[in-house]
Amino acid sequence: MRSNNNSRRLRTAAVALLLGACGGTAAAQLPIEAGGVEQLPAHPGAHWVWVNDFSFFALPDGKAFLVDGDAGRMLGLLSTGYSFAALVIPHDAAVIYSPETYFSRGTRGIRTDVVTLYDPVHLAPLGEIRIPPKRASIMAMIAGAVLTDDDRFLLIYNYTPAQSVTVVDTRTRKFAGEIETAGCALVYPTGPRSFFSICGDGSLLQVALTDQGGARSRTRTRELFDGLKDPLTEKPVRIGDTWLFASFEGTMYPLKSTPAGIELQPTWPLFSAAELAQHWRTGGLQHLALQRSSGRLFAIVHRGGTQTHKDPGADVWVWDLASHRKVQQISARNKVASIQVTQDDKPLLFGCSFESNRLDVYDAGSGKYLRSVEGLGQTPGLLVTP
Amino acid sequence: MHNPVDELMERWARGMARRLSRRHFLRNLGGLMFGAAALPLLPVARGAPAPAGGAADPGDPQSCEYWRHCAIDGFLCGCCGGSAHSCPPGTEASAVTWVGTCHNPGDGHDYIVSYNDCCGKTECGRCLCNRNEDDKPLYMPFKSNDYNWCVASKAGIAYHCSTARIVGVAK
Repeated sequence: MRSNNNSRRLRTAAVALLLGACGGTAAAQLPIEAGGVEQLPAHPGAHWVWVNDFSFFALPDGKAFLVDGDAGRMLGLLSTGYSFAALVIPHDAAVIYSPETYFSRGTRGIRTDVVTLYDPVHLAPLGEIRIPPKRASIMAMIAGAVLTDDDRFLLIYNYTPAQSVTVVDTRTRKFAGEIETAGCALVYPTGPRSFFSICGDGSLLQVALTDQGGARSRTRTRELFDGLKDPLTEKPVRIGDTWLFASFEGTMYPLKSTPAGIELQPTWPLFSAAELAQHWRTGGLQHLALQRSSGRLFAIVHRGGTQTHKDPGADVWVWDLASHRKVQQISARNKVASIQVTQDDKPLLFGCSFESNRLDVYDAGSGKYLRSVEGLGQTPGLLVTP
Repeated sequence: MHNPVDELMERWARGMARRLSRRHFLRNLGGLMFGAAALPLLPVARGAPAPAGGAADPGDPQSCEYWRHCAIDGFLCGCCGGSAHSCPPGTEASAVTWVGTCHNPGDGHDYIVSYNDCCGKTECGRCLCNRNEDDKPLYMPFKSNDYNWCVASKAGIAYHCSTARIVGVAK
């Protein structure tokens, strides 16, 4: 056996020598390549987007794809566990938080919930924070996990089915506590130490936090909307101190955070009487996006009945927030269920749908279709710009 | 679009959300869960074959258009080894769930349909169906199909498929 190996090595060496000699005379020899692992720049590009895949056909295999919208190129991936919703990224983008759930035997065994911290340069785990195994397993919603305005506390909606919010201290990187929110769902930050949840009766639960992440106060507003007649979708956008919610029938509800608490500002209609008569409505999973500097509100729209409030749409309409007037209509190249817009001065509009695994890229100003990136997981949901 | 059952549930939920502490909530919910958990012990939920259909229950339980599926969101258990009202072998029926009200064109009645999830395995992956008649946002949990209702199951939250079981007549 040994002599066979030796003779094989001799033959291999002779062939390599011969090839090397021949190669020396060739004009266009490719260089020998060193292997390696890519890494990303310290600061994310202005046109990057995380495409979060909740992977509905294989829920244990959640993932997030990082895509460069200019190059139409995938830059990397994070593997994010069972019933994944979305990455949460602080203002400085120096770390990536990912609320995740795992089972010791894949789909059974001991459940462990963690917030995994990822290094945004190497897309590798830096560490993890254990949290109670209560993280809500829901259709992906941005309001499932958010940071307070100063990025100090990460707030995660729990449903067991008792409702509460897990508080994680990002400074100590430890679980800080749990706040009961009985009858109220999801988490919407309103400042460095405050958030609200939406309650089933149309009121809001306002919670003020201590510097340790506990509940300093909890108050309920009056009933601000009628959840039976015309519910607010739980997928708003935020500009400054105001959250903008769209109702099923297309009325915008601005909820402004004031020192006296959250106040409902005058509502305004997205659709004209003629458009309502034609059954135009918003729909999708992440159906609103906001370009803050220009004050332009983007919404996925379609024509359909009341039961189509989550349907993807083939059109994206744009409103000017100052005048409340519709200023643009964009025909999407493909139906979209989620949209996101970048916040730079040459913004891109991204669109995707859980019905395909494609990301479409548009010029957010002109609405012109630019390019698509195919093959991004199974059921891409929320789009998050770093 | 509303019906008395919806309004009754809404009033109950509003009142509970307003008045009761989490401890009360859990106690009440425990009763609800017990009620739901007992239901799978009924003979109809034990590996029973798919309904025969016919004029009184028209349509194909493996079709998204089947009348009971008016507010379902998930993989139809009838395509996965179960039926419209029973879970596939080796899974566990969820202890809590959401309900819809669907109109049966066969007899003209509106029925309360309980969309119990079947839990403990990975996704069946067959016959995905999402219909949202009277579906409400996540802040009205028992009217929302965006929750994973395996949440309180012994088997854990691993979601496999969804049933559409008749639990009452709405009128």
